[in-house]
Order: sequence, then C-alpha cells, then structure tokens
Amino acid sequence: MAASIAYVGGHLQYGVNFCMGQSYKQAIWVPSVTFNGCLQRELSWSCGVSKFLQIRKCNLFQSRTNENWKSFGTVITSAYLRDGSTKYFDFAVIGSGVAGLRYALEVAKHGSVAIITKAEPHESNTNYAQGGVSAVLCPSDSVESHMQDTIVAGAYLCDEETVKVVCTEGPDRIRELIAMGASFDHGDDGNLHLAREGGHSHHRIVHAADMTGREIERALLEAVVNDPNISVFKHHFAIDLLTSQDGSDTVCHGIDALNTETQEVVRFISKVTLLASGGAGHIYPSTTNPLVATGDGMAMAHRAQAVISNMEFVQFHPTALADEGLPIKPKKTRENSFLITEAVRGDGGILYNLSMERFMPLYDERAELAPRDVVARSIDDQLKKRNEKYVLLDISHKPREKILSHFPNIANECLQHGLDITQQPIPVVPAAHYMCGGVRAGLQGETDVHGLYAAGEVACTGLHGANRLASNSLLEALVFARRAVQPSINHMKSSSLDLSASSLWTCPLVPKSLGSDVMHKILRITKEVRKELQSIMWKYVGIVRSTSRLQEAEQKIGKLEAKWETYLFEHGWQQTMVALEACEMRNLFCCAKLVVSSALARHESRGLHYMTDFPHLEESKRLPTVIFPSSHTTGTWSSRQLHQQPIVNSMV
Amino acid sequence: MAKTSLSRLFASLSEHSITKPSFTGSRSDSVTRSAYNSVTRFVCSSAQETQLIREERSNEGDREAAKENLESVNKEEDEGEDGDHVNKETGEVGGPKGPEPTRYGDWERNGRCSDF
Repeated sequence: MAASIAYVGGHLQYGVNFCMGQSYKQAIWVPSVTFNGCLQRELSWSCGVSKFLQIRKCNLFQSRTNENWKSFGTVITSAYLRDGSTKYFDFAVIGSGVAGLRYALEVAKHGSVAIITKAEPHESNTNYAQGGVSAVLCPSDSVESHMQDTIVAGAYLCDEETVKVVCTEGPDRIRELIAMGASFDHGDDGNLHLAREGGHSHHRIVHAADMTGREIERALLEAVVNDPNISVFKHHFAIDLLTSQDGSDTVCHGIDALNTETQEVVRFISKVTLLASGGAGHIYPSTTNPLVATGDGMAMAHRAQAVISNMEFVQFHPTALADEGLPIKPKKTRENSFLITEAVRGDGGILYNLSMERFMPLYDERAELAPRDVVARSIDDQLKKRNEKYVLLDISHKPREKILSHFPNIANECLQHGLDITQQPIPVVPAAHYMCGGVRAGLQGETDVHGLYAAGEVACTGLHGANRLASNSLLEALVFARRAVQPSINHMKSSSLDLSASSLWTCPLVPKSLGSDVMHKILRITKEVRKELQSIMWKYVGIVRSTSRLQEAEQKIGKLEAKWETYLFEHGWQQTMVALEACEMRNLFCCAKLVVSSALARHESRGLHYMTDFPHLEESKRLPTVIFPSSHTTGTWSSRQLHQQPIVNSMV
Repeated sequence: MAKTSLSRLFASLSEHSITKPSFTGSRSDSVTRSAYNSVTRFVCSSAQETQLIREERSNEGDREAAKENLESVNKEEDEGEDGDHVNKETGEVGGPKGPEPTRYGDWERNGRCSDF
C-alpha cells in the first residue's frame, strides 16, 4: 500500500492508490483509506510547502485487520484554512439522539463517520423520552391496527405509505436494538412486556422501566464509542450546511461547526450529511425539551434551500407545573418542564382559572376527562382571554394519603417550593413538547438537497400528520435512520469531491475582534430577545390561534428580529461571525417564522392546529403545509447561510 | 347541542377523537351562567360517580399493590437469579412498581408524566 500526496498548484489534492489486487475506483477520499503510518511522514513533508495550507495534525486510527477492503479504518486529517480547520469524512451526522446514533452505527460499516453534537452526546430529546417505543410485537396485534391508530391520531393528514413503512418495519428495528444491548422489560414468560398508551388500541409499547429513551441512548452510545470508524465531536455546534448549486439542484457537501469549548471553527467536508438534530421546543417559554432543542437543523435546512413541512403542528402538554405560580420560585429557570400526569385529572383533579371558576365544562361535557388536546386548548383559551399566566389543578379534595401515595413526585416537587398539594391547587400551564413538522424527508430519509438526509424529530416524514401518536417518535427515528443508510452509502460511493472545495465557502469567524465588553452586551441583549420571542410565540402562536393573532406575531417577530440584528451589526458584528447564543437565536427566529407562516397557511383546524376563524376540518385542505426556500438574495441574517453559495458544476 | 351521556364521561382518556370545541367567544355571560350551572351540576354528579368508581378501582389497586408488594418481596427472596420486581397482574419483570404507568393514557411515574 502506498499513499502519495500531491501538492498541485494552490490546492492540496490527495491521490490515493491502492494496490490490493482489486481494482479500486479513485475516490480521492482520504478517510476511506487504511494506512499503516506512512502517511504521517509524507504529510509533514508537505507542511512547509504551502503558505496558507498547513497540515497540523494527522490522526491515524488502528485499521481493522480485515481482508475485506470494504471495511475501512479511519484517517482524519486536518488542514487549516486561514482561521479554521477542516476535517474530511464520508458521513457527517448532526445530532446524537437515537436517529443520529442508529444511522452512524450502520454507515460506519462503509466509511468514516463524524457525529457532531452541540453538547454532551446524551443531551438529546431521546434521553428525555421516557415512555416507550411503539411497535407491533404481539400476535394479536397487527400492522393495520397500528397504522389505523396512527392515522386517526394524525387527523388523517399522515402519509399512508410512510405510516405503512414505519409500522411494518418497527418490530425489526426493536429487535435490532435488543441485539445491540438495549434492555427492555419483559414478562415472566420471557416475552417483551408491552404497555398500552392513549390512542393505541393494542398493547404495543416497548419500554425499559420508565427510562426507555435513556436506555436506548445508552446502548447506542456504547456501541458508537466502541466503533473505530465513528468520531464523536461533542460541544460542536453546527452553524450552516455547506452547499452549492448544480444547475437547479442544491448539493450538500458538509457543515461548518463551532467548537464551543475552544471557540474554534471546524469545517466538516462530507459526501453525505444526516440531519438528526431534534426539535425546537425552545421557541416557546415553557417546554419539556432540554436546552439544546433550538431548531438548529430545521433552520439550517431551510437556509440551505430544503423544503420544510407541517411546522404548524406543535404538540403541547396541557399541564406542566407552572413555576410562576409556586410560592417559592425555583432559583434558576427550570430547563425542562415538570409534566403533571393525566392521572391527576383521571383521579378527580379539577381545573380552575385564577378566579377559582371551573372552566372545563364550558368547553366539553367530559370536563377534565376530555381528551388531552381539548384540555390543552381550553386552558390556552382561558389564559389568553383572561391574560393570565397559569391555571390551577386541584386535587386537594381527595384524601391526603391517596394523593401522597399516587403522586409523591408532584407532592415533593411542590413542597420544595412551598406548596402543599393536599391543601392547595397546583399551578399548571401548557408546555411545548414535540414538533410534528420539520425538514421534508421522503421514504429514504432524503431531502430536497442532494446528499442531505433527515431523520427523527427534525424531519417531517408524513408519519405524524397533524398530531403525534404516543411513542411513535422514537419509532420514527429508528425506522428512518435505518432507511437512510443504503441510499447514503450509494450516494457516498458515487460521489467524489475535490478537496479544494473546502476553500470555496467563506469561513465563519469567531468574534474575538469585538472585545469582551461588546460581546457581553450582545449576549445580554440576545438573552432578552430570546425571552421576548418566546413570549410572542406563546401569546400569539399558542394552542388556540387566529389569523389576526398570527399576523400580529409575524409583525412582532419581524420587528424583534430587525431590532436584534441591527443591534448586533451596529456593534461591529459581521455577517460571518458566530457565537453559540447568536447562532441559536437566529435559528430560533427562523423556526418561529416557519411555524407562523405554516400556521397562517392552514385555513382549517386539524389535529394540533386550531384556528378560531377556521374551527372545522376541511376535507379539501387535507394536505401537508409545505414551505419552499425563500430567495437567498434578500432576507435577514437568520434566513441566509453565513457564506456565499458557489455556483459551480464541477462539485459533484 | 349537549350530547351528554354518562358513557362518554366514563370513557377512558385514551380516546382520540377529533372534537371541535366551541370557544366561548360569542356566548353571552347570562346564557353561560345558567348553562354552566346546570352542566356543572350534571357533570359534578356524574363526575362524583366517576370519582367513586375510580376510587373503588384505585382502592382495589391499592389493595392489590399492597398484596403485590408483599408477594414480590416473597418472590424476591425466592428468586435466585435476579431481584427484579415481578408485576403479579401482568407478569412484567423489572418494570416500574406501583400503579400501571399508562392507566390514564399517558406514561406517568409518581405523578410526573414523561410521555403522552
């Protein structure tokens, strides 16, 4: 085996010649090649040659001793371009939840993988998904039944083919997880124990005690860490996708990221990119999502000209503990909401507004026992009409011992904040939980951008329609992560990339030149602007909507965004500058606007989207909401990629 | 308009119906008051019945849970291989102790909901 690196002109090109007794297509792809140490010497030779290309380090991974040349070891080389470093991979995965990890483990059998995650790898919505995964695993259950339940829950907006695929392939995906070491509860007959959740007509929820998501995340992370072909880049915040135009097609070549620990920009060039970045709960003030869920993937995809779909379908939980109403406020803002279970209402809890009026009977004869979505809308309506921050859920009329034995978690949490739920009502407010919409993805997880795939909450596959069925989200992530694998491999094999391409996009800039004073001001303002945006979203784009309120939201968000951007640029911020808080803010603005536009476009009420001026279902409107990319020559900082898009045909 | 029936009130929360709630934008207060009172009384009485039935069920559940706990403790002492809790009712091994987390449609543990 020999590796030769040719330095041609002003660009570094890696030419790799394999002599392995097999014909090898010149893929010019360093990471796909197995080396035994000779590369390092040759790289250091070329170090002094280029004045603006410096090869600083070369990591050699132990190659697997394997005759089959298809399984590769990984070589990562970093070439510094001006003020950044570039890394080359076959596959780049953005996000480390179930979708990202599952996909990575498969494609790693065919090439090198970078997992780019903005915090610790386990920090994802998956980790907080404690309920279970749904799948047809019981002989008396059927794919048709699961399909039917999904479609009914989705208010008939689901894509039937997608539903069929997911419900059919679910059981196999669960079996694979088990084979990978995920440990699920089983019955004493040895079979998987299946629970039954709301909306399901059969027992089909697979779970691991009450921390299913965490268990799945654990099993997958363990496998990832042990895989030599996968490199995890934690605390790397993805900024923008690197794209180019090939005629009318947009092609994705990788992603720029910011190492938030070292404040360095890293450019990842990859043949295939998977977006698995999760949800956008933090466009609302009250959410069950961890802090990382700021809609980064949806925003990046939109900026990269991918089609976004069904963003109006935001799922809320009606009764999250409202910290505002607690006598002793939590010292710091709760990162993700404490949800009060339906069981409290089921056991006789009554909802009151702050004037102690029981309001549920006004909305539904089932009162507190009405379906969750009805309860959520009713609470939202009361809050907006009365301009109040929370309502009250009272269980204090029940026997004290019952309350404490059934709901010790709530009792403890409230007591710590000065509230005795056996004596006083519990303050509750709806919390944003799940985005049914996202980056439009086909049955192979493919998006409108070539080389870009999407899976998990960030994607809109058509499975959830207008409302997600319980426990279907982990399932969707598993199925689509798997389905995107073969197309990704095919795409990877048919791609060749001129590594000089890396210099075709302007590098993001860390704002050192601004100084700490200005940065401090910018960060403070950004924090306030985030709160303001969340407040607008809750007030005008909540659970009960109307055209006039949505239009007001549009106005207010537009003004807020302009105000924020002006402040930044007035203080010396440049188009290509990046900082975690600023980039998250621009993503939040982007997602918020997508939700508002989508909501304005749907002139009917369906599933999670309720409009007072269009309160009924309209059969003619039983279509997905689709947002096409906007022209990137106009628009705000949040709606444009940081760099210019090159228009070259030679890229692919 | 009030298609009330006791059976609907007793319906489990797992029902997924696409209801079209009417929001009280246009109702006048006086109408609301009288309708509210009669509806409230009706709802309260049946709700009480609902509560009674649920209480009975949960009483049974408590008794059973107490039995389960005793039995599972015994079983744990008997079991050689693992000390996992076995749910007497469902045969589930290693599952969450206490009432069934999905009994009201969502997934709850000790009052905190984590999936729905």
